[in-house]
Amino acid sequence: MLAFARETWYLGLRTLRRFLRVPANPISTVIFPLIQLVGFSQLFRDIIQLPGFAGQTSYLAYLAPGQIAFTVFLAVSWSGSNLLYDYRNGYLDKLRAAPIRRYSILAGELVPLGLECAAMAGVILLVSVALGASVATGFVGAVLILVLCAAFGVAWSGTSFLPALLTKNEQATGTLSILFFPLAFMSTAFVPVRLMPDWLQVLNAVNPISYVIEAARALMTTGYDWGAIGAAVVAIVAVGVVLQGATLLAFRRLTN
Amino acid sequence: MTSEVVAGPAIEVEGLVKVYPGGTRAVDGIDVAVERGEFFAFLGPNGAGKTTTIRILTTLLRPTSGRARVLGLDVTERPGEVRRRIGFAMQTVALEGLATGRENLELMGRLHRVPGPELRRRVDELLELMGLAAVAGKLAGTYSGGMRRRLDLATALVHRPAVLFLDEPTEGLDPQSRAALWQELARINREGTTMLLTTHYMEEADQLCPRLAIIDEGRIVVSGAPAELKRGIGADTVTIQLEAAEGEMATRQDAVARLLDGFSPLQGLERTDEGVRLAVVDAASTVPDLLRRLDGDGIGVRALTMQHPSLDDVFLRYTGRHIRDEAADRPLEIGW
Repeated sequence: MLAFARETWYLGLRTLRRFLRVPANPISTVIFPLIQLVGFSQLFRDIIQLPGFAGQTSYLAYLAPGQIAFTVFLAVSWSGSNLLYDYRNGYLDKLRAAPIRRYSILAGELVPLGLECAAMAGVILLVSVALGASVATGFVGAVLILVLCAAFGVAWSGTSFLPALLTKNEQATGTLSILFFPLAFMSTAFVPVRLMPDWLQVLNAVNPISYVIEAARALMTTGYDWGAIGAAVVAIVAVGVVLQGATLLAFRRLTN
Repeated sequence: MTSEVVAGPAIEVEGLVKVYPGGTRAVDGIDVAVERGEFFAFLGPNGAGKTTTIRILTTLLRPTSGRARVLGLDVTERPGEVRRRIGFAMQTVALEGLATGRENLELMGRLHRVPGPELRRRVDELLELMGLAAVAGKLAGTYSGGMRRRLDLATALVHRPAVLFLDEPTEGLDPQSRAALWQELARINREGTTMLLTTHYMEEADQLCPRLAIIDEGRIVVSGAPAELKRGIGADTVTIQLEAAEGEMATRQDAVARLLDGFSPLQGLERTDEGVRLAVVDAASTVPDLLRRLDGDGIGVRALTMQHPSLDDVFLRYTGRHIRDEAADRPLEIGW
């Protein structure tokens, strides 16, 4: 276990450097949520007068948790491409010929990915606060939001790792990232569930990102809503078990 | 890690076979033994099974049948222990382009559990040796082809492996860098590292490898020291351009054939457009006599060239084909 942690640490440092040394990586991740946050909060400023928004002080405050959670979608949309690149140029073989546990290689991708998600979501959180949103649960609550984002990001990254490992095709790596659109726009990021037509309410009930958004929203606007937080954890674990379980099998097959 | 003594020769391969899922028999019964401290090469055209064999020895591929042991350790049964003791530089250079040269070396050292202070010394030493000290802090992605090769080789050496595997180490390098790299490899070998490398460059294998195995279609066709293999071929080639007036070449060639009938070092005579090509044993000491005979009979020689047998002649003798023809015909091999 210690050896696994050690190997993951050194491989993780490499992954983190790769992310940070290309400034386009962090910038392209935060730019879209930032535009939405600033643009939509102004454009739809008066929408909170609708009865469904009862209790909200500003649309910005309502919008912020959704944009924070969205950042995660963008942060992981091409996450499988690193591993695929290593596979192509032989680096994966180089690591396989080294005396390490092969799952350290996967962990060395996923652990930094969680950190990237937390950091990028953190940028949006900070900007939200600067624009007037607040975090009712304070610093600890903010950290909890970022932890949920990191966990969701790692779980969701299977949508990139899985096609990458199965097709070994760079183009396929980002294909499933378009799931972002239906999932994001049919979630409770923009309007509360009470304002949705019935069929959207049904879809929303199985939309994992909505659970993460609701937990983050509770932590920002009301307080520790353990029901919402628990639901988010269940949603994240469910997504993680399915997607990362399959990713693990595909990785095993690739490195055999 | 690697100073530990494990019994047996450095590399021992018995009846090794690898059949890929598609049915390709890439390795078709290879037996070979490489002693500790040897500098040994697999020479053969692309697609001969060299890379497949080396990937089995480095634990990256499982053989279909047969056994392979490195330092006495079976590569399929104890891959972890094998990996701790070997270094491997692949045909395609595999580096982290977004890490510096130093970071690339440090990562491989860490994964091989080289302790911190020793690792720093070793990394400095390797950067110096490979002529990369000045660019150690630059991203490897900005390096030239030769620098990338050298850094890749250095990453295979950080943990002082007992056996070093190199797949086409000079591929894609200019002649000057190739010569420098060979010197470096020879030096590493002198310090005690057993080397097994593959190459399809005959001249390099001939001049630089004390012992080699010629591989074709998944089998070792012959192995030994280059000089010994070439001696096995016997004759040198002597090409003679004859002086002959228009239309008289055939008569001249007949005269040469008659004159040399019964000349014992001669093993074969072939007519060319400009004269004759002779297969002669020990050409260097028989050519003076040969010339005297021709001169005594009034046959004029315009030019004469002597050629010792090459490893390509050895390959030709055992396979009926030239290494070069093969190499040129194959589609580009892609590294995965």
